[in-house]
Amino acid sequence: MSENNYRDWIDYDRYPTLWCAGCGIGIMVKYLAQALVELGYEKDEVVIVSGIGCTGRVAGYFHTDSVHGLHGRAIPVAEGIKRGNKKLKVIVVSGDGDLLGIGGNHLLHSLRRDVDITVICYNNEIYGMTGGQMSPTTPTDKFTITSPFGCEYNPVNVHKLISSNNHYFFGRSSVWHVDHLKKVVKESLSHEGFSFVEVIGHCITNNGLRIGFKDAYEMIMTIKKMYKVNTSIESDTDLGVDTK
Amino acid sequence: MGNEAVALGALKAGMTFYAGYPITPASEIMHFLAKVKDLEFVHCEDEIASINMIFGASLAGCKTMTATSGPGFSLMQEGLGLGYMAEIPFVIVNTMRVGPSTGMPTLPSQGDVSFACYNSHGDTYPIIFYPNSVEECFKVTIDAFNCAEEARQPVILLMDAFLSHMYEPVDVDNIKVEIKNRDMKKLGSQMGHVTGLISENGKPKTKDPEVYKKWLKYSKEKRDRVADNYKLYEYVEKSDKLIIAYGVTSRVVMDLEGYSIFRPIRLFPVLDELKEVCSKYEDITVVEMNDGQYADILEKELLKKVKRISILGGDINLEDVRKQL
Repeated sequence: MSENNYRDWIDYDRYPTLWCAGCGIGIMVKYLAQALVELGYEKDEVVIVSGIGCTGRVAGYFHTDSVHGLHGRAIPVAEGIKRGNKKLKVIVVSGDGDLLGIGGNHLLHSLRRDVDITVICYNNEIYGMTGGQMSPTTPTDKFTITSPFGCEYNPVNVHKLISSNNHYFFGRSSVWHVDHLKKVVKESLSHEGFSFVEVIGHCITNNGLRIGFKDAYEMIMTIKKMYKVNTSIESDTDLGVDTK
Repeated sequence: MGNEAVALGALKAGMTFYAGYPITPASEIMHFLAKVKDLEFVHCEDEIASINMIFGASLAGCKTMTATSGPGFSLMQEGLGLGYMAEIPFVIVNTMRVGPSTGMPTLPSQGDVSFACYNSHGDTYPIIFYPNSVEECFKVTIDAFNCAEEARQPVILLMDAFLSHMYEPVDVDNIKVEIKNRDMKKLGSQMGHVTGLISENGKPKTKDPEVYKKWLKYSKEKRDRVADNYKLYEYVEKSDKLIIAYGVTSRVVMDLEGYSIFRPIRLFPVLDELKEVCSKYEDITVVEMNDGQYADILEKELLKKVKRISILGGDINLEDVRKQL
């Protein structure tokens, strides 16, 4: 299949999307669709499940069957679907607040049960849809509208959380490192068992502008500067792909 | 045991997926189902996961159920609402214990009746069943499954701790039952986009009041139409005084002499037959194990006062009822 076919997977009738100009979620959607096409999946064997929030709307823009459930509950819905019909490829696409905040308990336990689903987490360190509140991944000292004097807490260390399980797949990429993102997503989709991909993204409207970024370009370039692709799979660092 | 009868009924109705979290007095349903081969069984991390998991499995084409008690039922409210909005069938068993909060976990109650009848946020139109014997637990569970399939919405089966733990001989193999098969699209066969948002043709329409009004009207009419196919009740006419009771309480008041007794099995929406019977009586008493919850619902429906007898704290005693009458 040629790479261009990924467009068939996107529901253009729904356009324009509800995401702001300069948002990174669309980039993630594009490379997820490409990864699915390149792995040879058919549309009727893939189900996309989302929670609530900006990233929670991803499910609706796919041409596959998709579920847009409750806030934080994407993972149990996905587990139910997978256990209900083992032939389906079930992918959860949701945000950091949805998966690590309100849905943290489900992440912990579906991971432990090692159910064969792929979870893709768009991590923009903020609650975007509700206006820019502090999220579980907001870095310490960062200003948001619910941490007006700087975030007092440490962010969730999602890599260590996932890797505390005996059998796991953890991948991290970003919306700037798109080739790497596609590679990580493809590897996670090929993994048998629970796989988790953290996609470092940004939110310009409800985070970036407030903390002093001029535009989305400037914000995305900080991702480029901050993260480097790690080619060593066995590495213990938090960067790059990690499989065990 | 009442709980085992529910589990057997669910299997008979064609359940292929169960997700649950242990809670007194509903745990035996789980214990029984955990041993069943060919049943996809999940012991979840909490009731929120249970209800979302059965929602997902139902989307994948399985008939599904979960069982809980008051505290778990409280956690399930949002998931129930999703079931109504997305029109997905599943069954929830709520075996009632004395609440609120952890309350009196091992003692029976009927305190969740109005909570179940007006469950979840927003306007919802639930269907609720309440058996009163072990055999009926088996039969009504099957009815609840059939009703859920027909109405494409969650259906609630209420029980109480007494009924759950009651032993009675039942010949389940010789009970004639009718099973309704799944008649809807499932994920993987062009089901499209399933969402908890108000939608039209799979596309969210969250700013249009007309779409919402249309959906709500449709939802109510559908509930009423399907509920009409399940007119389950028991009526014994003996005198000019009527007692209304359901669940285990009805077994106690059956022994009272000099009273007609009406026992709704389909508790909600209120049966037309019950309204009709009530129009013939001036002296109506509702006996229940809560502070008059079903009496409140009836007063609203009948537009007349009914007397109420509350059996509180999990202790059922015919003498107490007699004294209050």
